[in-house]
Amino acid sequence: MYLYLPVALTSINVLIPVGLGLAVGLLSGLFGVGGGFLMTPLLIMFGIPSTVAAATDSNQIVAASTSGTYAHWKVGNVDFKMGLHLLIGGFIGGLFGVQAIKVLNAMGNADFVIKMTYVLMLGIVGTYMFIESLSSMRKKKVQEEKVQERESGFSRFLKTLPFQTEYVKSGVTHSMLLPLIFGGFVGVLAAIMGVGGGFLMVPVMVYILRMPMHVVVGTSLFQILFNCIEVTFLQAYTNHNVDFILAVLLLLGSTIGAQIGAVFGRKLKGEQLKIILAVIVLVVTVKIVFELTLSPSLLLAQAGGH
Amino acid sequence: MRRYKYQISNCKTAFIITVLLGIFATAHTASATLTAKANHDHIEVNFFYHGSTVSVSGITDPGTELIIKIASPEGHESLKQKGKVGGILWMNVGTLKFEHVPNLYSIHSTRKLEEMLEQKELDRFVIGLPALNRHAELNPSSGEDEKTKWFGEFVKYKESSKLYASSSGRIEMKEKDGKQSYYINTEWPYQAPPGDYLVTVYAVKNGKVVETAEAKVNVEQVGLVKTLAGMAKNNAVLYGLISIISALGAGFGVGLVFKKGGGAH
Repeated sequence: MYLYLPVALTSINVLIPVGLGLAVGLLSGLFGVGGGFLMTPLLIMFGIPSTVAAATDSNQIVAASTSGTYAHWKVGNVDFKMGLHLLIGGFIGGLFGVQAIKVLNAMGNADFVIKMTYVLMLGIVGTYMFIESLSSMRKKKVQEEKVQERESGFSRFLKTLPFQTEYVKSGVTHSMLLPLIFGGFVGVLAAIMGVGGGFLMVPVMVYILRMPMHVVVGTSLFQILFNCIEVTFLQAYTNHNVDFILAVLLLLGSTIGAQIGAVFGRKLKGEQLKIILAVIVLVVTVKIVFELTLSPSLLLAQAGGH
Repeated sequence: MRRYKYQISNCKTAFIITVLLGIFATAHTASATLTAKANHDHIEVNFFYHGSTVSVSGITDPGTELIIKIASPEGHESLKQKGKVGGILWMNVGTLKFEHVPNLYSIHSTRKLEEMLEQKELDRFVIGLPALNRHAELNPSSGEDEKTKWFGEFVKYKESSKLYASSSGRIEMKEKDGKQSYYINTEWPYQAPPGDYLVTVYAVKNGKVVETAEAKVNVEQVGLVKTLAGMAKNNAVLYGLISIISALGAGFGVGLVFKKGGGAH
């Protein structure tokens, strides 16, 4: 069955957005990412204008991450305090990121810098997560001892920072500055790349904030929820690009997908989750590299989006 | 997130000129027999709209050949231009602005255009893609070759969303009582946005356009599609809030439904 989308001004087979929503929602519930890096290009492939695709995706992520946060919160896997501090950092970082884009546009090589940042970030994060989780799966006992040795040096430095506070749900004690600064760092990059930044926030929480993987997923979804509420409103208000009908079709799939992902994720170990996410991130990196090097079929594209 | 404006302005002047040209062409022919009628002059876009068909029919003098042009009013379109950076990487390298181009343009003729009319005559009525290329303007442009190349890309882009189309030999002609009737059925793409479209039928004899006739097609959103599209533009705050609240509600709702299945740990 086809439905007409009033803002995208196009007609789509309803099974496509519902199916895409289900698949990306599943990833969202499993790994704590919004999935914009998958959803937006797929929507464009199915004929949705790029600007509408990005804006509408953020609207459906509101639903998917609400569903996912709720599922993780029920089993105590959301650290609200940590989430809030990351959010504040991310918000401030986002403001800087938007300014950075203005500077890049004025310099005239914005697209090059954005694409390169994106590929490098995906590539580095994916490779690091893949190698780290693979080695910790192989020689778990040896790794644990090593990590503790390494941690002691790193945490001694962190202990010297002011505003130390305990994050009970995550079972860690950090300076408040840590999530603020790294949340801000992700915020800057996310704004430059025009993505939600879940794939960066998850590794920051795992490797820098040393949070357990299952709490990372729930907390990441919590802060993605608030980011996407803000982005949806701004997109609807300034660009009129949110397609309500498309968002409803997507969220029909993604809210259910997020629940299934959350349930399924509990059956997997932290390392297993990390390595699957690493593989997905690397596949996306390879796809983007191909897009950059193979001749496109169309040399012109609608203005907007990436 | 970078934002661009995507505009197709309605160019009324171009429309008026087209009409005047039509009248002019009609005025100097002795027998005004050409008629044109579109079966769907009003296409309603509702929720279940998935494109339509428009058939154009009418009567023409025996011995004439026909060209049928369906086009939206001329406007301008800014598109991102892809190019190679450093010899290997494909990226957006700038924006190209195409001027005096219709958003929808389809040409159907009884024979190949270049066999029916000379370039001068094709250009005069902007019939066919080469004529449209010569008629259009490109900014920034570095010479005719470059313009032709990018216009070619523009046509590919338009054809990919079915907004540009052409055919020859598909118009059915029947002679009856010394008159000749014609008929063509065309696919109307769902990608064509709401607005007014003009169908122009050119009667051709001995390499000249001897008569023209026109019909209109209007595409309009109706019902909930119209309400939502209007609200997104004119009541953006309320629209944004409804979108967010619906998403939050749906997320919580599904969370509650899954309560039993998801609670165990």
